[in-house]
Amino acid sequence: MTPPIPAMNPASGGTPINMVTPEAAPLPSARIEMPEELGQPLSTTATAPSSNSFASMLGQMVSDVNTQQNVSAQAVGALQSGQNIPLHQAVIAMEEANVSFQLMVEVRNRLMDAYQEIMRMQI
Amino acid sequence: MIQTLIGVQNTAAALSAEQTRLDVISENIANANTTHGLDGKPYQRQVVVFESALQQAMTADGGLQMPALQVARIEKDDSPPIKIYDPGNPDADPSGMVSMPNININEEMADMISASRTYEANLAVVKNARTMAMEALSIGKH
Repeated sequence: MTPPIPAMNPASGGTPINMVTPEAAPLPSARIEMPEELGQPLSTTATAPSSNSFASMLGQMVSDVNTQQNVSAQAVGALQSGQNIPLHQAVIAMEEANVSFQLMVEVRNRLMDAYQEIMRMQI
Repeated sequence: MIQTLIGVQNTAAALSAEQTRLDVISENIANANTTHGLDGKPYQRQVVVFESALQQAMTADGGLQMPALQVARIEKDDSPPIKIYDPGNPDADPSGMVSMPNININEEMADMISASRTYEANLAVVKNARTMAMEALSIGKH
């Protein structure tokens, strides 16, 4: 999951105009390997036109986060129904789900920032 | 799968191992006065033996392996039972001596403190990993 962050970081620090171009340009070449391997089910349903888009990567991320939330919910449910699951395992699963959700929210925030900077651009 | 909390899988294994250790200690303390175990002999103190194991990391490619901790086995302490003089005890031998389990409560309490502190230390690792992840997520915020 490291690839999204370096791509997002220039968005936060750099000038508003610069932050969009690195996102748009290197995407097809550098970052697209992962979604192609992992994101078959979602990329076909969510973004039909091209599986190489940033949207498909984002969709893959959302589905990953959803999976992690489900895992943590299962762990907590198993704990509550009296199965022999260590308490710390359930809490760690919850924590992982929480952190990856925060990561997703952060990606969304950066994306919205970039979009709004573009919309504010004077023509 | 998103790997957000790096190194926490190892810590989770250590936490489980410490929990097993605590279980064994509680069994020892509970049976400190058991003169008649399942086999008819006094209860024998049990100790856990830890070992490091190669744990398959939860990466998608499955290539990375990292050492983790697990409980190898639970062994019996073979030191001789403690003999006390108690003629009224049903398990006393003809000379009135009773074989009590080879458990020293003080020793068990010290072991329990050690297990509890190790557990706390591993929890601190989890907490730290979480803090680091959150700090990394706030890069670039002002």
